[in-house]
Amino acid sequence: MGFLKVLLNNLMKGPATEAFPFGPPPAAPHYRGRVAFDPASCTGCGMCELVCPGGAIRIDRDAAGLQLTIWHNTCVFCGLCAHYCLSKAIRQTDDWHLAHPQAEKFHLVERGRVSMIPCVGCGKPILPLSDEVMRLAFKGRTTEIERLRRLCPDCRRIASIREMRHAHRSLV
Amino acid sequence: MTLFAHLAGRSPWLYRINAGSCNGCDVELATTACIPRYDVERLGCRYCGSPRHADIVLVTGPLTIRVKDKALHLWAEVPDPKVTVAVGVCPISGGVFRESYAIAGPLDRFIPVDVNVPGCPPRPQAIIEGIAKAIEIWAQRL
Repeated sequence: MGFLKVLLNNLMKGPATEAFPFGPPPAAPHYRGRVAFDPASCTGCGMCELVCPGGAIRIDRDAAGLQLTIWHNTCVFCGLCAHYCLSKAIRQTDDWHLAHPQAEKFHLVERGRVSMIPCVGCGKPILPLSDEVMRLAFKGRTTEIERLRRLCPDCRRIASIREMRHAHRSLV
Repeated sequence: MTLFAHLAGRSPWLYRINAGSCNGCDVELATTACIPRYDVERLGCRYCGSPRHADIVLVTGPLTIRVKDKALHLWAEVPDPKVTVAVGVCPISGGVFRESYAIAGPLDRFIPVDVNVPGCPPRPQAIIEGIAKAIEIWAQRL
């Protein structure tokens, strides 16, 4: 009479088939889907472009900043870009609705532009440091660190040395 | 003829061409058809063994040099009107094999592609979504 139990179980459980495309699509937890880019957190290190196995990421640099382009049609969702992105500017969403007609083939891109800002010290254009990078690099945020943040590497070096000499003198 | 178009539009047969695929997309295509959880036959589709019976062609793989002529020959055997679906990033752009000396693709250099389903491999639901789009195009072409 074991079959009765199986029959009853099957009747109680309902269909095993997912409703999609006639119903809502299920989203798996931690699904690695379409890559999203947040230009506000990007530091322009270029690691994502380097590690992308499909060559889906391209960074165009010019005098005014950089433009990052991701073409989803050659992305293999490996997640290397998101893994190596220190400032979490690139992350993977759980969106998998990427099937599209041929006319949209080259429109399936994600673009983001990071603009240069002038250095407070010398006016040289530098890429802005995001809050995420500041959080990673420093434990607390002091006014001193905030001041160094807006300086180019050369000015930052000079300012740091000046600060150290000043501290040394006051100690002696 | 309109009755035929109405009936045929509801039951396109699928044919699968492996143009040098790593088999990942083919496994997902088999999963889409064979596992009750996804069940592509709800859309009226079924896989067929001969290109001459097919209506929708699913192409996987980056179209390698070695398989190019055979794959294109096979595609040409599918009677018109037909709908071509590129499954996976390989036939669409070459994917990780892009610009390799061993591939002749992307596929749309040689044959008109109608629907692209990117992914490496695309998940079964994405394939079903692509096939649903292909069925819409197929119904218009009849």
